[in-house]
Amino acid sequence: MNVAGMLRRDGIAQHLAPNALAIALAIIVVVFAVSEPAFLTSGNLIGIVRQVAIIGIMATCMTFVIMTGGVDLSVGPVLALSGLASYFALQAGMPLPVVILAGLAVGALVGLVNGLIVAFLQLPPIIVTLAMLSIVRGTALIVGGPEQHLIRNEPAYSFIGTGTLMGLPFSIYIFAAVALLMILVQRRTPLGLLVAAIGDNERAAYLSGHRIRLTKTLVYVICGAGAALAGIIQSSQVHTALATYGPFGTELDVIAAVVLGGTSIMGGNGSVARTLLGVFFLGVVNNGMNILNVPIDIQLIAKGAIIVVALALAARRA
Amino acid sequence: MNADAPVLRGVGLGKTYGNLAALADADFTVRPGEVRALIGSNGAGKSTLIKILTGAVLPTRGTVEIEGQAAPLGDPLGMIRRGVACIYQHSNLAPAMSVLDNIYLGRQPTRALGIVDTGRQRREALDLLARHDIDIDLDRPVGSLPTVKQKEVEILKALALDARVILMDEPTGWLAAADVARLHATVRALKARGVGIVYISHVLDEIFAVCDTVTIMRDGRIVAESDVAAIDRPTVVRLMVGDKLAGEASGAALQQRHPRGTGVVRMSARDLGKRGVFGGVSFDLHAGEIFCLTGLIGSKRTELVRTLFGSDRFDTGTLEIDGRPADIRSPQSGMAHGIGFVPEDRHREGLMLDMNVTENLAMATLDRHRRGPLLSRGSMARAGRQAIDELSVRPPDGGKLVRLLSGGNQQKVLVGKWLGRNPRILILDEPTVGVDVGAKAEIYAILRRARGEGAAILVVSSDLEEVMTVADRIGVMVSGRLVATHDAGAVTQEQIVREIGGGTA
Repeated sequence: MNVAGMLRRDGIAQHLAPNALAIALAIIVVVFAVSEPAFLTSGNLIGIVRQVAIIGIMATCMTFVIMTGGVDLSVGPVLALSGLASYFALQAGMPLPVVILAGLAVGALVGLVNGLIVAFLQLPPIIVTLAMLSIVRGTALIVGGPEQHLIRNEPAYSFIGTGTLMGLPFSIYIFAAVALLMILVQRRTPLGLLVAAIGDNERAAYLSGHRIRLTKTLVYVICGAGAALAGIIQSSQVHTALATYGPFGTELDVIAAVVLGGTSIMGGNGSVARTLLGVFFLGVVNNGMNILNVPIDIQLIAKGAIIVVALALAARRA
Repeated sequence: MNADAPVLRGVGLGKTYGNLAALADADFTVRPGEVRALIGSNGAGKSTLIKILTGAVLPTRGTVEIEGQAAPLGDPLGMIRRGVACIYQHSNLAPAMSVLDNIYLGRQPTRALGIVDTGRQRREALDLLARHDIDIDLDRPVGSLPTVKQKEVEILKALALDARVILMDEPTGWLAAADVARLHATVRALKARGVGIVYISHVLDEIFAVCDTVTIMRDGRIVAESDVAAIDRPTVVRLMVGDKLAGEASGAALQQRHPRGTGVVRMSARDLGKRGVFGGVSFDLHAGEIFCLTGLIGSKRTELVRTLFGSDRFDTGTLEIDGRPADIRSPQSGMAHGIGFVPEDRHREGLMLDMNVTENLAMATLDRHRRGPLLSRGSMARAGRQAIDELSVRPPDGGKLVRLLSGGNQQKVLVGKWLGRNPRILILDEPTVGVDVGAKAEIYAILRRARGEGAAILVVSSDLEEVMTVADRIGVMVSGRLVATHDAGAVTQEQIVREIGGGTA
């Protein structure tokens, strides 16, 4: 607690990363490019963006939650449940917009419950969303059972995850649209300023006449909807809905991207744009190690070490 | 007693933060068996002095001696080892653990292999209880004990460390009257055994009941030291709140006084009460006047004004704004009634320290910078520049993080945040605590300007010099009651002092 307080007092979060992480990203790009020429091909680079789209959407939508001093651990199962919801909507013969809305509604609803409990009962977000992780996974297993639900002959739905537009995968456009929207919300709307204000000093924000509970609830709804959108893309990409998608560790990748981007886990200043840097940093690390044929066990260890080292460097720089 | 060498002695202690002197040139001694009261308003430098003595803060100048030996500065563990213990206002105990474990927490006697020697621990504890005549169940979890017993556990913890000086920071803050007497009995027992005690309190009755000597602080300096027997209550209060009002200054203030302002009643409180906190509070606040509520800390002024703004609720009485009953349930509804509120603790309740000046200034006026669903950063920046200019915030840089400003400039930003709404009623709780003299004058000028524009201004202040400087009318609160209201020009400082000190519980 003391260390956390110190970190926050020194305002490391707002100095963190805008340059340090960009430099680190540039360095690893150079390292991978030199060691393996295949890394720097346009095909591989597009591949990286496509691979990070799912985690990236979740991370941009989680940034506000973490800025308010909260966290959402339930995004993995939400991803699975929204895929199943869309699948069943497809099975029922619904038109595409309804299918997508059904998937998004599931995520928004889970987020709403998370948000209401955190904001109104004032329980700790880490416990609330951990419980929700378990509840949503259980629900997904009841709804979907253990079997894979194949999504066949649904070209419109499959286009979301597998289609291309002007030479680029369609999912990249969705990722870009979500990222731009969230950056706009953060920088150009009252909500964006209020989210940072709550994370910095919730009591002062309350005494300035702001609706703290409403805002907190809303950021969890956004986070849930983001995870649901990721679930729709995922199910579309692999033509399958499955209750165990978004396994343990998904939420950690998402949180790691946000924190690497310089948003303090204690709340306060943060930036959606820098979360994107964190997303790409992790994506490049993954991709580079794959290309270099680093075994998966070593990859996991290396990824963890890189996260810690990157954070430490950024903190030192500040 | 005075023949004894001091057990704890600070010489020429000083501490500056930036250009603000929190403590200057303080000489402070405690002798064995002496109970020394340390009193002063908020920001007077008491806590800085205490923190230096416990090693929590490194002084910029001066030395500390314990029994004639120079003590290391800024070393909390070193001070504890040398016998200086501090009992803080808020408990430092582990509530789920037993009394015995709490007393020895972190330094249990051990046998070989680091196993706790529970037998020896208990023998020592029982011996300690017997020596100091304290009766307590060693096996009860601390959390299940009444507060006064918890204080005794903290005292035992200090004694087990062989404390020769115990600093007590508002030890009776959470105690009922009967428990205060109990605690005082313990203090006297400690005194009889030669322990030196520093007793920090805002409650004058306690000081006259239990202390031998008193040290009075104001504006970072020790302004007086005396035997308690040789000083009377009004003198203590006068020294605490200051009596430096020069003749011309009060003349100038008098000319500027507008009791009842324009004569229009903005806010009218009748018989406001909150159970166990304050009661029977009635007053009128007029447009174009500055009404100061003064009193000792703990007289419930803060609690009262919070209910006027809506961040807390009163249980009884009625509140009217502009002649109509006002039901204020939240800061939002307070603001909808045109009220602005500058809280006492700017760091914890007022400002977003890691956000910049422009953003902080806009925090209560976001609705005015809205363009459809969007927030106009340009409009915010323009309003920010104007406010920075009007308030002379230095440096005049809207992009500067508020954390990096001096206390005075932070306070100007906090006041400016509310002035941006052109509040019809502005409530300020201790608006100049921890602010240097220059910024104080600027803040007073800002308040007078707002008054001139017709705002009704309610200021809570413990600083009587401030009250006599800015007030048009003065209300005195004692123990949750508004005991008197005066036109500031028709009352002497001595009378206010008598009323503030009189009949405190």
